[in-house]
Amino acid sequence: MAFVIATASPAALAQSAATLVAATSDGSALNVTIPIFDPGIPDDPSVFRDQQVFPRIREIEAKLMPFLLRETLVESEQWGAVRVTTKPEEAAELQLLGTIVRSNGEWLDLRIRAVDAAGFTWFDRVFSSQANDESVTQLGDKGTPEFQAIYAEIAIELAAVRDRIGDAAVSNIKGTSLMLYASELAPTAFSGYLEETDDGTLRVVRLPAREDPMLVRIETIRNTEFLITDTVDAKFREFNADLTRTYRVWREYRRKVGGYEAWNTRFAEGEASNAERGSWESIKHRYDAYKYDRITAQERDRLAVAFNTEVASTVDAMEKRVAELNGWVENGSREWHRLLEELYEVETSLQ
Amino acid sequence: MIDCAGPEPFVLITILDTPALPNALEFPVPDTTLVRYPTILPIPSHPRPRFITALLLAAWLCLAGCAHHEKPLLIEDTKYFEGDMPADFSGYWQRDYASSDNINQVLRNAYYELGRKSRTSQGGIPMASDRDRSRLLPLARLVELITRTDELTISQTEHEILVERRDDFSLMCAFFDGVAKPADSAFGREVCGWNEDRLVSVNEFPDGLRVIHQFQISADRKQLRVITTATSKTSPMPFTVRLYYWRVEKRPGKFACIETLSMKRVCSTGELVL
Repeated sequence: MAFVIATASPAALAQSAATLVAATSDGSALNVTIPIFDPGIPDDPSVFRDQQVFPRIREIEAKLMPFLLRETLVESEQWGAVRVTTKPEEAAELQLLGTIVRSNGEWLDLRIRAVDAAGFTWFDRVFSSQANDESVTQLGDKGTPEFQAIYAEIAIELAAVRDRIGDAAVSNIKGTSLMLYASELAPTAFSGYLEETDDGTLRVVRLPAREDPMLVRIETIRNTEFLITDTVDAKFREFNADLTRTYRVWREYRRKVGGYEAWNTRFAEGEASNAERGSWESIKHRYDAYKYDRITAQERDRLAVAFNTEVASTVDAMEKRVAELNGWVENGSREWHRLLEELYEVETSLQ
Repeated sequence: MIDCAGPEPFVLITILDTPALPNALEFPVPDTTLVRYPTILPIPSHPRPRFITALLLAAWLCLAGCAHHEKPLLIEDTKYFEGDMPADFSGYWQRDYASSDNINQVLRNAYYELGRKSRTSQGGIPMASDRDRSRLLPLARLVELITRTDELTISQTEHEILVERRDDFSLMCAFFDGVAKPADSAFGREVCGWNEDRLVSVNEFPDGLRVIHQFQISADRKQLRVITTATSKTSPMPFTVRLYYWRVEKRPGKFACIETLSMKRVCSTGELVL
């Protein structure tokens, strides 16, 4: 099941390739970046219980789920490097921005917005999936196999758009991505290569020569950043492996709680509810129905706390390591920016 | 268990033997309904028969007066707070049976009050009609059931108060910016509020059944008073019991334990590292 929010027409995407100069394209496979998802935690904490949102667990899910989507895309063999990152990257060739809309053990709803470097939105949809026991049997202890269908559906949707837009559009996206990255690092040298069109998307108006020394430096720096991103990505994979077992137990408990809730409803509608109004049987039945409902809700809360306790050390260690790597990238980025600007000034003043 | 057979006039002797509430005056806001006949009637060492009759009469009259204070506190009357919560109830609490109401006696008192109001009597003593008794009894049984636990564990944070009760669900009061957040479901509603330093928890059920718990802590923080009232549209009057609890200091155990999901409860004598 999916709810379409917005899609770009393939014709519009293909149109954008018209002016492409594919000097820096290195193939037709797009690299995909998946920032950790928006956990979808409501701003108002008073609604957490009603909506069954456990913030800490949602934050963990927001880190786990991109990895599961990544695995699915890698297995499809239709994409270049697929990376999970800690934050969105404007210069990414194709970026998948996700928000967890609902995650309650029985249902998973993910809003996915796929947007390329040129600014075209491939689709913006809510994908929805009900837990499937068969997937659990087939895929075993791997992430959340009961919701594998949702990742598969996203992969199919992406591949369909990729096929429609054609290779020329892909080349344009790759060129735009590189120029975007270059203009972020050395705006003086590269800001003139892109222009914004009337619809707000970007278009490559010209490209530097392949052997342009500034471009070579930019590509070297970008590859170094990719290396760090891949290290972060590997951390996510470790994180996933560490948490999978506990997360599966949590999922199973959530589903059991769903079973208890269904039992509570049946109990409340049971025979004793027809007892004479005000009688002991009637009063006791009403009280018990409420009591079981509250006990179920409180058990659910207790399990959430137990889950947090169990995974706290793993999450803390992972977050610390990722923060270190991000800090290194950000510091390096500032330094590269300064050096490249200085180099550009030196080189152009010599000409 | 509630004695469902009906009232026994001689039970008043038992009431007179009940000690006065030891710390009733230590509560910051004295509960007017706590003024009970044992505290105002002297107990004669060798009472003569005529004196006993007068004493019984006085006690009955007082009973009627006491019952007048049985006004249920509705959630609409409660006020919300600003800043810190008005009281801190956290801790372990154990029932003080000596001070707490005897539920059978409360029921008999209620029967008496109903009889007085409706001018029905039994053996010359005001007594509720069969119909009124059969309509009040289910409420009394419910109150007995939900106040059965002799231990309360109360935890309190900046936003929440959780009252854990054995064999029952935990009462939970969540406040955001001082305003209570009700817990709604198809089966009922739980909402809290404050009446000065009293925490009021109201459980509302379909068909007009309502259970109200009022928590108040003594000035020295050693005693907790819990007033539980059940009301319904079918009952001729609310049913209220007052229970007292002593604070119990639990010694720290030798083991440090935490709840985990896949390993359940994990305990250690040293620092727990998962």
